[in-house]
Amino acid sequence: MRVSKKYGVIAALGIVVIAGIAAVPAPANEYKNLKVLPKDISTKDLSRIMIDDFEDGLGVSCGFCHAEEKDSHKLDYASDEKPEKEIARLMMKMTLDVNEKYFQVTHPLIGDSTLAINCTTCHNGHPRPGDTE
Amino acid sequence: MKNENFISVDKNDDGIDRAGFLKCMAWAGTGLFCMMSGGVMKSYGMSQLIDKNIGLLKKGLTLPKADFTFAQISDSHIGFNKPANPDVVGTLQAAIGKINAMPVAPSFILHTGDLSHLAQADEFDTLDQEMKSAKTGKIFYVPGEHDVLNDNGKQYLQRYGKDTKGDGWYSFDYNGVHFIGLVNVVNTSEGGLGVLGNEQLEWLQKDVKGLSSSTPIVVFAHIPLWAVYPQWGWGTRDSEQALSYLKRFGSVSVLNGHIHQTLQKVEGNITFHTATSTAFPQPQPGTAPAAGPMKVPAEQLRTLLGVTSVDYVEHNHTLAVTDTPLVIANK
Repeated sequence: MRVSKKYGVIAALGIVVIAGIAAVPAPANEYKNLKVLPKDISTKDLSRIMIDDFEDGLGVSCGFCHAEEKDSHKLDYASDEKPEKEIARLMMKMTLDVNEKYFQVTHPLIGDSTLAINCTTCHNGHPRPGDTE
Repeated sequence: MKNENFISVDKNDDGIDRAGFLKCMAWAGTGLFCMMSGGVMKSYGMSQLIDKNIGLLKKGLTLPKADFTFAQISDSHIGFNKPANPDVVGTLQAAIGKINAMPVAPSFILHTGDLSHLAQADEFDTLDQEMKSAKTGKIFYVPGEHDVLNDNGKQYLQRYGKDTKGDGWYSFDYNGVHFIGLVNVVNTSEGGLGVLGNEQLEWLQKDVKGLSSSTPIVVFAHIPLWAVYPQWGWGTRDSEQALSYLKRFGSVSVLNGHIHQTLQKVEGNITFHTATSTAFPQPQPGTAPAAGPMKVPAEQLRTLLGVTSVDYVEHNHTLAVTDTPLVIANK
């Protein structure tokens, strides 16, 4: 009787531990090198920024900022090899600052449709603002 | 106290009235209706065939006889919600409505990619749900680059890749015609050009090796397999090698999407077609700084979605984007 009570306690503890593990939220993404965008950004939000803000706003494709893997045409999204990627980070910081400082946007986030200033405001489909071709 | 550093009013007057936009978008959602006859493919824009007021084939038009028919739709971008089209589900429904209004149900539908905008599960779910209402035997898919975001196409393959090879390429035969679905979006290279890759090219070579040269071939893939406008990534880096395997065949039709507009080109035995999007227009090659969703005044949208030819049909009884004029009944 005493033995079964002991096993009961162990089993109960096991359930608590398992439940605890299950309660730990799964990571929202597997991104390895986010420095400006939130580290817990969802794949949907990140994809929307990449497609709607960067790709359409600058008229570029993924390879404009992301370097290819060494032995294939696949893109290595974590790599910082291309300088354009660091420039993109600076541009994001600048955009957030401008929105906060001059447009009174509190807690601005890249990709938020309520931003007063976004990539398209200046780039208008060009990789560099002011380019005409 | 007024702070001169703050801009208190931020106007974005783009001149688009939502009600008017949606009214014009009733014209959108075009697709391509293809007829195979004696191994030759003839294609018709569905906006030109269907009377939008009655939802049936336009009065006085009769389709030529065909061995079988199929439809192509493309670039549905479910999940897109920008001003270029805030109702992409509605325009997909319009495309399906046109397919369902055809006097003969197509044997199958080819969807040439960009089913979703951001490769999200809910976007694929919506697409699947809407496509269920299409009156057809089967729907074949190839992915667009939007369908393989984040995971290099894992989710796409789980949903649509049954019985396919590699990243989702495959072939099938229907009524003596050999159909080949290729994937050129998983390894898109710098500049956005599509890439087929060595593994798929080797498979293609083997796939057609045993076919007689008289076998009609239909190839479908998302990014054009001809150099439409490489500056915008509208082409496929290694498409020439793929097409070299098809040169010995008497009739080859290549169907693509990606550029959201109808273009055709004939090169030797190969006819290239690109389809309009069911979601939003893109600029003509070289007429804008870059490719991308084109926001236009509502009154221009109809023209940019390729419906100008509706008038052309009414006045001339022929089809602007067709290979063959329609037969006029009871004349």
